[in-house]
Amino acid sequence: MSIMEILEWIEATRIASIARESAWGFQILVGLHILGLIFSVGTLLWFDLRLLGVSMRACPVSRVYRQLMPWTLGGFVVMLVSGTFLLAGFATNAYSNFYFRTKVIALLLAGVNAAIYHLVTERRVAQWDHAPKPPGRARLAGLTSIFLWALIILAGRMMSYTMF
Amino acid sequence: MLNLDSFFEWLQATGIAMTIGGSSSLTGLLSGIHLLGLTIVAGGAFVSGLRLLGVLLPDQPVSEVAAPAARAMVIGMTTSVATGLLMFSSRASAVAASEIFQLKMALLLAAVAFHFTVYLKTTRQDDAPVFRLRLSGLLGLALWFGVALAGSGFILLE
Repeated sequence: MSIMEILEWIEATRIASIARESAWGFQILVGLHILGLIFSVGTLLWFDLRLLGVSMRACPVSRVYRQLMPWTLGGFVVMLVSGTFLLAGFATNAYSNFYFRTKVIALLLAGVNAAIYHLVTERRVAQWDHAPKPPGRARLAGLTSIFLWALIILAGRMMSYTMF
Repeated sequence: MLNLDSFFEWLQATGIAMTIGGSSSLTGLLSGIHLLGLTIVAGGAFVSGLRLLGVLLPDQPVSEVAAPAARAMVIGMTTSVATGLLMFSSRASAVAASEIFQLKMALLLAAVAFHFTVYLKTTRQDDAPVFRLRLSGLLGLALWFGVALAGSGFILLE
């Protein structure tokens, strides 16, 4: 089975045809996808800004993280699930789209950035938890995250204008 | 309404509107920047709204959390309004006639008015009465999520 055949099979499933053909199905999925975006990236931005030493400087980094992360992760799950359904509906169109590929690569890089932060940088958080301006590595992680998520949002909108 | 209709037709015929309308890549880019702005606005409204409600970082002063968020919201609003106007120009007559777009604009006007009158004032002081903090937080959240939802409803019509 080639990739195209698999994608065509996905598009033919019932859930994919609801995402594609039902006006309400599509509408609800897009609404959820954008709500998920606001919860996840809208809150993540404030942790990134704390890492950069721009805002909430008086609050420990680890505390900002613990307070925001449930919203960020919850929103991310909503975004991921609704995005998967939308993608299933338009799998073959999306696969060959330049902006979709850009979005997927940027998403993977955002995951790598988060993993490096948690596995390496955050291990010494005790040393700079209260610092108004965290060390260079932490600031770089925050800046990279903002850049990648902005790219993901831009590519996401671009793909829906160039796919059909 | 005749004047407004002819204004929209004139707007659609301008060079910049024709350029945007003729390029799906340009419209997509504007739409992406528009959504970036919305993420900053609604994310800021969410974070500062939760602080005003006492849910997020309740031990931190309101001005420490909500004031920078409220300021970031102004940056997001400016970004979204500018790109929104450009996208609007290319299909002004059709968009203006859409009921969901009219709802979005009504909510947006209410949210912007609320932000610059009540919200900025409330988030700048740490000793505002709790009732006022909670009510401002709740109203801000409701208005901005209304704008976001009406906006996502409008995507379907594009």
